[in-house]
Amino acid sequence: MKDFGYQEDSTTAPLGDFNLWGRILVYCRYHWQLMTAAIILSLLITGATLGLPYLIQTGIDGYITNSELEIAERLSGLSMISIIFFGLVIIVLVATFFQVVTLEYVGQSIMHRIRQNLFGHMLKLDPHFFDTNPTGRLVTRLTNDIQNMHEMFTSVLVTIFNDLLRIVGILIVLFLLNARLALVMSIFVPIAVIITQLFARLARAQFRRIRSQLAKLNSFLSESISGIATLQVFGRQKETRKLHEKLSFGYLQRNLDQIKLFGTFMPLTEFMSSTAIALILWYGGSEILRNQLTLGELVAFLSYMRLFFQPLRELAQKYSIVQSAMASAERIFQLFDLKSDRILADKPHSAEDIHGNLQFHGVHFSYDGKHQVCKDISFTIRRGETVALVGATGSGKTTLVNLLLRFYDPQQGRITIDDIDISQFSLTNLRQLVGVVLQDIFILQDTLLANIVMDTGTSRQRVEEILAQTGIDRFVDRLPSGLDTLIGEGGQQLSTGEKQLLAFARVLCRNPIILVLDEATAAIDTESENILEEAIAESFANRTSLVIAHRLSTIRRADTILVMEEGRITERGNHDELMELNGHYAELVAMDVYNEAT
Amino acid sequence: MNITQTYQTDNDVESTPAAPSAKQLLRHILPLFRQYRLRLFAGFAALIVVDFLQLSIPRILKRGVDSLAAESATREILLRYGLYIILIAMGVVVLRFIWRYMIIGFSRYLERAIRNRIFAHIVKMDTAFFEKRTTGDIMAHASNDLNAVQMACGMGMVAAVDALVMTVAAIAFMSFIHVKLTLLALLPMPFLAIFTRILSGRMHRRFTTVQEQFSLLTEFSRSTLVSVKLIKAYTMEKFQTREFDKLGRKYVKSNLGVARIQGLMFPIATLVGNMGMLLILFFGGRLVIIGEISMGDFVAFITYLYMLIWPMMAIGWVTNLVQRGITSLTRIDSLLKERSLLPYAGEEVEKQEQITFELKNLNFTYPSSASPVLKDFSLTIGPGIHGMTGRTGSGKSTICKILARLYPVKDDSLFFNGLDVNTLAVESICANIGYVAQEPTLFSNSIAANIKLGKPEAVDEKMEEAARLAAIHEDIMAFPDGYETIIGERGVKLSGGQRQRLALARALLIDRPVLIIDDGLSAVDVETEHQIFAGLKEHLQGKTVLIVSNRLKLLTMTDHIIVLENGEISHDGRHEQLLEQSRFYRSMFAKQMRESEQLDYK
Ligand SMILES: Nc1ncnc2c1ncn2[C@@H]1O[C@H](COP(=O)(O)OP(=O)(O)OP(=O)(O)O)[C@@H](O)[C@H]1O
Ligand SMILES: Nc1ncnc2c1ncn2[C@@H]1O[C@H](COP(=O)(O)OP(=O)(O)OP(=O)(O)O)[C@@H](O)[C@H]1O
Ligand SMILES: [Mg+2]
Ligand SMILES: [Mg+2]
Repeated sequence: MKDFGYQEDSTTAPLGDFNLWGRILVYCRYHWQLMTAAIILSLLITGATLGLPYLIQTGIDGYITNSELEIAERLSGLSMISIIFFGLVIIVLVATFFQVVTLEYVGQSIMHRIRQNLFGHMLKLDPHFFDTNPTGRLVTRLTNDIQNMHEMFTSVLVTIFNDLLRIVGILIVLFLLNARLALVMSIFVPIAVIITQLFARLARAQFRRIRSQLAKLNSFLSESISGIATLQVFGRQKETRKLHEKLSFGYLQRNLDQIKLFGTFMPLTEFMSSTAIALILWYGGSEILRNQLTLGELVAFLSYMRLFFQPLRELAQKYSIVQSAMASAERIFQLFDLKSDRILADKPHSAEDIHGNLQFHGVHFSYDGKHQVCKDISFTIRRGETVALVGATGSGKTTLVNLLLRFYDPQQGRITIDDIDISQFSLTNLRQLVGVVLQDIFILQDTLLANIVMDTGTSRQRVEEILAQTGIDRFVDRLPSGLDTLIGEGGQQLSTGEKQLLAFARVLCRNPIILVLDEATAAIDTESENILEEAIAESFANRTSLVIAHRLSTIRRADTILVMEEGRITERGNHDELMELNGHYAELVAMDVYNEAT
Repeated sequence: MNITQTYQTDNDVESTPAAPSAKQLLRHILPLFRQYRLRLFAGFAALIVVDFLQLSIPRILKRGVDSLAAESATREILLRYGLYIILIAMGVVVLRFIWRYMIIGFSRYLERAIRNRIFAHIVKMDTAFFEKRTTGDIMAHASNDLNAVQMACGMGMVAAVDALVMTVAAIAFMSFIHVKLTLLALLPMPFLAIFTRILSGRMHRRFTTVQEQFSLLTEFSRSTLVSVKLIKAYTMEKFQTREFDKLGRKYVKSNLGVARIQGLMFPIATLVGNMGMLLILFFGGRLVIIGEISMGDFVAFITYLYMLIWPMMAIGWVTNLVQRGITSLTRIDSLLKERSLLPYAGEEVEKQEQITFELKNLNFTYPSSASPVLKDFSLTIGPGIHGMTGRTGSGKSTICKILARLYPVKDDSLFFNGLDVNTLAVESICANIGYVAQEPTLFSNSIAANIKLGKPEAVDEKMEEAARLAAIHEDIMAFPDGYETIIGERGVKLSGGQRQRLALARALLIDRPVLIIDDGLSAVDVETEHQIFAGLKEHLQGKTVLIVSNRLKLLTMTDHIIVLENGEISHDGRHEQLLEQSRFYRSMFAKQMRESEQLDYK
C-alpha cells in the first residue's frame, strides 16, 4: 500500500510560489467582476484621498493667500473648494463602505469554496489516510488555516494592485522631474526587492513552523478532550497539562522567533525611506549648490519620495500577511495534491440486477506491507445464505469487511459479487449494495432520525415501523423528543447498546443486497438480541449475510461457519459438522458453555 | 497586522453593552499586564521615543532646506544633516525592534498563559461539561478566539498607544499655534465617539455570532472526520458536504454582517478626520482672508492637522480589533467560568487496601436529559467480584461512571469507605480506582505509552505482566514494532478486541484496589475471555471489582450478580438465586445455554 507521505512538519517540500499563486488565482477567477470592481473602488479611494491635499493646496494658493482677488471672490472660491472637498470625503466614505463589503464577500466566498472543496476532497481520501493523520490536524487545515488566508483575500489581493500602480506612477513623475536624481533613487527599488525576497523566504519558513506547531497543539487538544474521562480516572491531569504546556511553549517560541524576524525586517523600509531623504538632502543639496537643481524641485522631490515609500512600506507589510497566508495555502494545497492511488473503474458496472453472490478468491492483505493480516482467504456466500465468521480477536475478521467495502484493496486475489470484481463498481454503488453494521460505533451529530435514514431517504413512517419491529422503539420513546432528538456530542448521549441498536436500524433502512454484521450485538442484551434476530431473519431472508460474532449463540444459525486463525480460514462447515470435526470451533463452544461445576 | 493605524481609549473597552462587566474580563488579562509590566514599560517607552524621533526627522530636513534657501549651506553641513537623519533612522530601527519584541512578544506570552489556563481548566471539568461543550467548540476557543485576544493585546494596543501619542502631540502643537482653531478642528470628534459607541455594540453581537458559527464549523468537520468510516460505508459524503456547505454559508453570511459594520466604521473615522480638515479649510481660510490669522500660522496648522488625520483613520481598525478581542475574551471567560461540580479541594484520602462503595438512595439524572436514570438507588459494593447485567440502557454504565467519579452526585448519596465522597478530593478517590470504560479511548501513541498511561514509571516487566494478564502480549509481539507500535488516533490501527484488551492492561498495570470493567471484553472472543478471567481471578483477590457484562459465562465466575432494570436493581444474588428469581436472567441463560444442550446430546 502506498504511503500517503503526508508528513507535516516543517520539512515538507514547499510548493513553488508560482504554483501556489496560480492555484489561488484560480479560486479568484469566479469573482473577477467583483474583484475588478473592488480594484476600481480602491483606485477611486486612493485618487480621492490624494486629491484632498491637492484641494487644500489649491485652496491656500488660489484663494486664501491670493491677494490679487477680491475678498468676496476669495471667500466664494474657498466655499467652492470646501464643497468639492466635502464631496470627495463623501465619495471616500461610500466607496470605502462598498469596498470593504465587496472584499469581505469575495474573500469569504473564496474561503468558503476552498473549505468546501477541501472537505469534499478529504472525504474522498482512503481510510488509510485517516489512520495516519490526526483529526485535530485536519480540522486545523479546514478551519484555522483557511481562516488564516482571510486577510490576504480581503485586504491584500486588491490593494496590491493599487500600491504597485502608485509606485510606478510616482517613479514616472520622479523621472519627469529629474532623471538623474530619479535614477539614483530607483536603486532603492532593487534593494527593496532583494530585502523583501530574503525576508519572504525566512518568514515563510517561520510561518510554516508556526502552522505545524498549531496543528500539533490542536491535535493534542482534540485528543485530550476526547479521552478526558480516561485521563481523569488515570490521574493524568497534571502530566497532560505539562505536555500541553510544552507544546504551547513551543508555539510561543516559534512566534517569538517570528517576531524577531519581523522586528528586524519591518523597520528596514522605514530606514530606507529615511536614508533616501538624507541622500536627497545631501546629493540634491550639492546639486543645488552647483546650480544643477532648484530648491523647488528638491522640495517637490522630497515630498514625492515620501509618497513613494508609503506604498512600498505598505507592500512590505502586506507581503508579510501574504507569507503567513502562503504558509497555510501551501498546507492546504498539499492536501489537495494527495490523491487516492486506487484504480476506480472507468465505466462502472451498473448495480442493478445484482443477486448478491459474494466470493473471496485467494485474498491476501497487509495494512503496512509487513504484517500479513489476511492470508489466502477464499469463500463463497450465495444469495439467501448466512456465513458466520468466528475467530480470536485480531485474527482479521474486520479486515475482511474493510476489504469488501473497499476501504482497502487486497494485494492479491479478488473479491467478486455475482462474478463481477468489486473494483468494477463505483464506490458508491458498491457501498449501497452492502449494508454493514460496523464494529466501531459512530454517531453523526444530528437527529436520531437522520442517523437512521442516512442517505436513503426513507420515510419517517417506515422508520417507525422498523423501530417497532426491532423493539428499538423502547429506547426511542425514552428520548426527550423521540426521533427528533439531537444525539451525539453536544446532544443527547446514548448508551453503547442503544448506539448499536441504532446501527441496526440504519442497516434495516437500507435494504441492502448483502448484509454484514460485525460484532453488531456485542453490547446488546439477550432479550433485545432475540428480537433483533427475528427482525433480521425476516427482513433478510433471501439476502446474502456475513455475520461476525463472538457470542456463539449468535452464530449457530449460520449455514456455514468459518473459523479464522491468524489471518487464515482454518475450519469451515456448519455447526454440526464443525462440532464433529472436534477442532478449534468445538473447543470454543465447550468453553462458552456454562458449566455447572465451576 | 498593520501598524500604520491607530487608537482606542479605554472608554471604548468599557462601553460595550452586551459584554459582561469589564472587570470580569480584565480579571483574565490584568494580572498578566502586571506580571509583564517591565516588558510592557520598555516596549511602550521605545514606541513613544520612536514617535518623537520620527517627528524630529522632518525638523532636521526643514533646517537643511532652510539653510539651502538662505544660501548658507555647504556640502559639509548638508552631509552632517544627512548623517543625523541616518543616525536617527538607525535608532528608530533598534527601538522598533525593541517595542515589537516587547509588546507583540507580550501578546504571545499572554496568549500562552490563557491557552494554558484554558487547558488546565478543562482537564479538571466533569463529564457533564463535555456533554454541553463539543470538542470542536473548545478547539475553536483555543485557536480562533485566542487569536483575536492576542491580536487585540498586541497590534491593537500598539496602534492605540501610537495613535494616542500622535494625537496628543498633534493637538499640543496645534493649540500652541492657535487654541480656537484647534477646538474647531476637534469639533467632529464627539461624533466619532458616538458612532463608535453605537457601532461597537452591534459589532460585538455580530462577532459573537461569527465566533459561534466558527465553533460549529470546527465541530462539524471534526465529528465528520472522526466518523469517516461510517460516512463512507453509508455513502454520506455528498450529504455531509452539503451540510458543511450550509454551515459554511451561514458563516459567510455572519461575516458579511460584521463587514457591513466594519465598512462603516473605517470610513466614518476617516470622515471625522477629514471633516476637521474641512472646518479648518473653510473657517480658518476665511479668518486668514479676513486677516484674523497670519498665513504662516495657518499653513503650520494644516501641517499638524495632517498628523491628526492618520490616527483618526486608524480608529476604525483598532475598534474592530479590540471589539473582536473583547468578544472572544467574553467567550473564553464564559468557558473559564464554568465550574467542575466535582470537589477538587476536598479532603485527601489515604491509599487504602480495602474499599467499599455505598450508594444510598441515589437519584441520578444526566444534566442533558430530563428523566432520571437511577431512581432511589441503593447498593453496596465491597471487596469481592461483583457482576452486573441488565438490558441495554438500564443504567449499568451510569453506575460505573458515578463510581469512577466522572459525574457529580448529591450529598449523602455516595460513600467511600463510609465517607461522603463530596467531602473528599476527587483526585484522591480516583487514585484508588482502575476503570475500563465501555468505549475505551486510546491515545495516538505507542502501545507501551498507552499501557503505561497511569504509571509511566513502571518497568517493562510490569508492563508485560499486565499485557499478559489481559492476554494481549502475544498480539503485541506479533507486530513488527512490538510495544513500540504506534496505534493511531483512538487506536485505529488495532482490532476492536485488541483495543479493549489494551484498555484492560492499562487498568491492570496501575493495580488499584478498585477495578471497574464496564463490558470491557465484549469484543473479545470466548477463548481469550476465558483465559483473561482465569488469570484475573487471582490478581483480583481482595479487591473491589465490578464487572458489567451480558455474557452469562463471565457473570457466573463472579461472586455476586446484580440485575438492573430501568435504573433499579431488580434482583441480586448468586447465579442460582437469580436463575430462580429473575426472568431476564433466565432468558439470558436459556439463550446462551442452547449450545450446551447441543453439546450434551453430541
Ligand atoms: N488500520 C489498520 N492499520 C494497521 N493494522 C491494522 C489496522 N486495522 C487492523 N489492523 C491489524 O490487523 C489485524 C486484524 O485486525 P481486525 O480488525 O481484522 O481483527 P478482528 O478479527 O476483527 O478482531 P476483533 O475480533 O478484535 O475485532 C490486527 O492485528 C490489527 O492490529
Ligand atoms: N451522558 C448521558 N446523558 C444523557 N443520557 C444518557 C447519558 N448516558 C446515558 N444516557 C441514558 O441513560 C440511560 C442509561 O444509560 P447507560 O449507559 O447507563 O446504560 P447501560 O445500562 O450501560 O446500557 P448498555 O448495556 O447499552 O451499555 C440510557 O437510556 C441512555 O440513553
Ligand atoms: Mg473486528
Ligand atoms: Mg453501558
